[in-house]
Amino acid sequence: MTDSDEPPALFFAGSDDEEAEMAVESTELKATESSISSQVEHRQLFLPTDSDDEEEDIPIIPQKRGSSPDIHHEDIDEMDLDTIDIPRATSVSASSMSEYISISSDSEEEAVTRPMKKKQVSPPAKKRRLSPSFALPSPTDIIQFPIYVGEFLVPNAWSSISGSGYVTTNDNVRIERDVDYSKTSEVSTKGKGKGKEKANEKNGGKKQVSIKSMINAQPVKAPNKRTTDTIVRLVTTRGVEFGRLPQEVAWWTSKLLDLGVVELRGKMTDCPSKLTIGANLIVSVDVYLLRTAFMPVNVAESDERPRMFGEGLETDEEKRLRERKSAVLKLFEIVGLKPQAGVMAGHEKSERELQEDALQISHMSQTKPKKHLEIVGDGEEVEVEDGEDLSKSDLDVIYKRAQHHDQDMGEMEAAESFTLTLRGYQKQALFWMDSLESGKMNAREAKSLHPLWSEYAFPAKPDGGFIDLTEDEKPFYLNPYSGEMTLNFPKSERNCKGGILADVGMGKTIMISALIQSNLGLDEPVHQTLSSKQRQLKLNNALQPAKNRKNSPPSATLIVAPTSLIDQWAEEIERSSKPKTVKVVVWHGQNRGDLDVVLEEDDEPGFTIPIKIVITSYGTLVSEHAKAEKSSSPVYNVEWLRVVLDEAHSCKSRTSKTAKAVYALRARRRWAVTGTPIVNKLEDLYSLLKFLNFKPWSEFSFFNSFITLPFLARDPKGIEVVQVILESILLRREKNMLDSGGKRIVELPPKKITVENLEFAPMERKIYDSIYDSAKRNFDQLRAQGLLSKKYTHILAMLMRLRRAVLHPNLVFTKNDERALSPLGDGIVDVNEMIKKFAENEEQSNVFAETVLADLDDQAEGASECPICLDVMEIPMIVPECLHRCCKDCITTYIATCEMKGEETKCPSCSRGPIKQSDLVEVVRPLPTSQNSQPDLVLRRNDFTLSTKLTALIHDLHRIRSTDPAFRAVVFSQFTSFLDFIETALDREKFDHYRYDGTLDVKRRHSVITAFKEASTKPKILCISLKAGGVGLNLTTANHVFMMDCWWNSATAIDRVHRLGQDKTVYVKHYIVKNTIEARILRIQKRKTALVKEAFRGTGKSTGELDSIENLKIMFGES
Amino acid sequence: MSLAGLPKRIIKETERLVADPAPGITASPHDDNLRYFDVTIQGPEGSPFQSGVFKLELFLPEEYPMAPPKVRFLTKIYHPNIDKLGRICLDILKDKWSPALQIRTVLLSVQALLSAPNPDDPLATDVAKHYKENEQDAQRYSCTQASATELTYRIHSPGIFQNLGRWPFSSHYQSGLFVNLWEIVNVWMSR
Repeated sequence: MTDSDEPPALFFAGSDDEEAEMAVESTELKATESSISSQVEHRQLFLPTDSDDEEEDIPIIPQKRGSSPDIHHEDIDEMDLDTIDIPRATSVSASSMSEYISISSDSEEEAVTRPMKKKQVSPPAKKRRLSPSFALPSPTDIIQFPIYVGEFLVPNAWSSISGSGYVTTNDNVRIERDVDYSKTSEVSTKGKGKGKEKANEKNGGKKQVSIKSMINAQPVKAPNKRTTDTIVRLVTTRGVEFGRLPQEVAWWTSKLLDLGVVELRGKMTDCPSKLTIGANLIVSVDVYLLRTAFMPVNVAESDERPRMFGEGLETDEEKRLRERKSAVLKLFEIVGLKPQAGVMAGHEKSERELQEDALQISHMSQTKPKKHLEIVGDGEEVEVEDGEDLSKSDLDVIYKRAQHHDQDMGEMEAAESFTLTLRGYQKQALFWMDSLESGKMNAREAKSLHPLWSEYAFPAKPDGGFIDLTEDEKPFYLNPYSGEMTLNFPKSERNCKGGILADVGMGKTIMISALIQSNLGLDEPVHQTLSSKQRQLKLNNALQPAKNRKNSPPSATLIVAPTSLIDQWAEEIERSSKPKTVKVVVWHGQNRGDLDVVLEEDDEPGFTIPIKIVITSYGTLVSEHAKAEKSSSPVYNVEWLRVVLDEAHSCKSRTSKTAKAVYALRARRRWAVTGTPIVNKLEDLYSLLKFLNFKPWSEFSFFNSFITLPFLARDPKGIEVVQVILESILLRREKNMLDSGGKRIVELPPKKITVENLEFAPMERKIYDSIYDSAKRNFDQLRAQGLLSKKYTHILAMLMRLRRAVLHPNLVFTKNDERALSPLGDGIVDVNEMIKKFAENEEQSNVFAETVLADLDDQAEGASECPICLDVMEIPMIVPECLHRCCKDCITTYIATCEMKGEETKCPSCSRGPIKQSDLVEVVRPLPTSQNSQPDLVLRRNDFTLSTKLTALIHDLHRIRSTDPAFRAVVFSQFTSFLDFIETALDREKFDHYRYDGTLDVKRRHSVITAFKEASTKPKILCISLKAGGVGLNLTTANHVFMMDCWWNSATAIDRVHRLGQDKTVYVKHYIVKNTIEARILRIQKRKTALVKEAFRGTGKSTGELDSIENLKIMFGES
Repeated sequence: MSLAGLPKRIIKETERLVADPAPGITASPHDDNLRYFDVTIQGPEGSPFQSGVFKLELFLPEEYPMAPPKVRFLTKIYHPNIDKLGRICLDILKDKWSPALQIRTVLLSVQALLSAPNPDDPLATDVAKHYKENEQDAQRYSCTQASATELTYRIHSPGIFQNLGRWPFSSHYQSGLFVNLWEIVNVWMSR
């Protein structure tokens, strides 16, 4: 707003060089001055012809500063106003100012003139005086007060006197409050007219209280003086009161005037030529903010300030604050100031518009196409059982802001002990983490606005008919919760060291390992509150050298991880560090040792101290926490340098034991590592913030007031605050993000996802349909009786049964059921045994049997035809009693048909019967391998039926093996019982396979994974229960993924394989059986997006229930 | 009609029926429905139906070969196991069906049924009764009926008097199955 500084800044763009600025000042200043002068010609009448304001004002200062110069100096220094340097400016607003007579609190003249003098005296002092905490010049440097922020029209002011000649249209009027009458009279002597203005200022200035007393005294003064009086008077330039503002304007303007926030300059827009009492006056009011408006409000600590007002008793102070807040907000509303950024950016305060905003947000989530819709079970972070509060796209919105500046973040090399090579984005993460730990201002933070503040721009004053386009917009900031304003960028504060590392599949483990090795925290202060207290209490102890050692800064890192990942952490850390540079202790299970010993033993001077890392599980921590509450526990006695929570969403429920256990840890630095900081509710984040001790959000009431409640009230503010919080403590990159060079930060090989729609075999279809029909009947009944929500679990059980029926019919039959074939081993049958059996049973000769079986070999050339399909038998099945053969498919279908019709099952060729499925013998012709080009035939009992999905799986595995003889595949299913079947099928097909599920203990899990990863010339298949292995595991040795059933979270499961370290194309296959519940599950997954809208509208609970029932209806084909 | 959707087995069977027909049997699928066959069976030598040529229809249901084909005489036949509507009482067309059987085997079985009527498991009870009470008379009647069929067949085709040997008044003379030509013509006329 000040041309004196502005033009140089423009010409020397990017230069802070004070001297240069100073040098050009005189010439440039003149140029601008004259241009302005020429445009605002009428002004010149009131100015000394060849003067600029600077010259004009300077002589005034000594006079004006009047009585207590010393105090001024002092005060101003204290208040950091020393950097103000440009009161001489004559911006448009400044110039127009002189046309008006400022009233209200006159302190601004003080503020303005005072530093100006400083500059005059010692221009270079500006730099020196810069507060060390600010790298940038304070915004107060370049803003002149009072500053125009807008105008409004009062159409119904009224006259309080009668008579004519007081005021006419277009007259300037003063708008003022009753101050002390003594003062009023003085003030009213001011502003006798434009030409006399300076003189007035001189006089008025003398009478003014010091800035300090202004600021400090005001809060006291205001509430004391008048509690109810809100009269705002209209006074002519000559000081005669002639009217008042109406009450609806006065209630807030009076507050603002009392509190020294604004100066109001009126102009009569319309008034009768002869005034009568009560006559209607139309006044347009220009609003100027005073410097004092930007002074810190003198109340308690900032942490406390934004508490919900109206809670408990309100102190006078709070009341004053509240009035100030509402007055300020009212002002902003009336003059139409809208924030550019921050809490209220883009949002009006009216209820209606808030709702529209809420709608917009839900639209946003609606219109934003889901990127991964083609993937089954997308909705990465959403689990069905927990409701569906936030969709993927909503989460994207939340994270977007935190990701905004990530591209050009700095990089940092890892310490020497770190053996792996970090990728660019990993170095960035290291840099980020390191600066968070060291408390350094990092690139991102400097740009983050404090969550409670909004950014505004001073509007250009339209007066004078031109807007100086060359002028940069000067922002100022408002805290809508407290009514505070400031010119200094309210940066997002951090008072915890650490943050949330939420990268997805980027090698979080490696990054943390690099951090541990690179930031040793050697410069941590030795004492801490607790130990210093202890020292005070036990001075003797502290003086003992032995104890002194304990007072070295904490250096050990504690990693808390899910049990399944403990070993992976230990391995990864050791793999990424030079030998003997780190000491990793897995502190878990029964044989966990004495932690103190572990942590202290190497603590001798002279040795290279290895970095100590303790890895434990959440479970161990919970039990230790219980122990610590009773007596003591080593984990809780130690102060850690750093605590890292892996899969930190494990403690998302703040009331859980796990959460409490992690909160209780003592640590200097805290990290939460998770791919899903928000699983599905905003509150999920709270627990992490609590762990991080990220004030003020780590207080639940605070989090609740500013995030949860606005969110529930459909106020987009909630999400915005979350965005801002995350911006300062969360790092989240995704695999598909681009680096500054526009390349993907992680070049992962492609991932090819196919969904194979399978058709049930007739028998399976029959079984499924009958189960479905009965379930549907049941459902309809319950529905008619209105018992849907009561019997919800019952229905869910039915659904589970249906889902199992899709996988394998045998999964739904009870043990005694005849169909529940229990496969015996691998079902291999010895050929000779078979001939023997045949000979025993029948009087037929062995010769026939031998011929038949010998003939099997010839069939390799395709000689024999199946009697049923008349085709060459691919997989011949032998009826053991008569040794007749058919294709496997043909005879099983035939037997199934017979069973369905209730007919006897007989050999199709000779009608010998009954024959049983499980008695049939399959002739397996192993595929030729490199060792054996003509492998022997194997006979195998047909006591295991492949379901449609199993058949497809086996088929695919064979297909893969034909091109990649040593492939690795991972098969996921939600049902461990189905994993049993898969394993049997793999057994029968002679595939090496491994099983990973929740029943394995840590050791066995570890050995399973190791065995699976071991090199081999044969294919290996790992069967994983989705619940046990959906997270954390690193299975990049495999590149084929089979999803056997629908699962909401399939994306994270796939990421086990498609992640950093994967160098092959990943093939993912989902098997879906057509016309089954699976297709409907897919529909529900798609529907989730639409549901988010509902989450914004209604309260969670009722929609949740309705929603579930809605889902059920889809399941049963109702909608 | 295209072959699409037609099981490979049916195509194979059809091909084989055409390439290598069973003696005395023809079967050809309809152009518009390859599951529907026009069938003729010559009365087997030495049976009362020797002089007859019988038209049948054969349909392969959707479930074929898991379910038997449906076969029916279109030509009237005087046979204890075949009723007036041409329906056949044959175990392999019912519960003794096996998917290993084929169109050819079914038709051969039907032909064999003509040689060996089984009045103990009758479908046409009156015919069965006739057969049981006076087999020769019943056979003679069957023969007349079959011959009338043959007459129809011959009238509609060239060489009406060729191969008279199949006619009952020649070779059947000895077997006691001799029928008066006039009788045959009477039956033929009455149809």
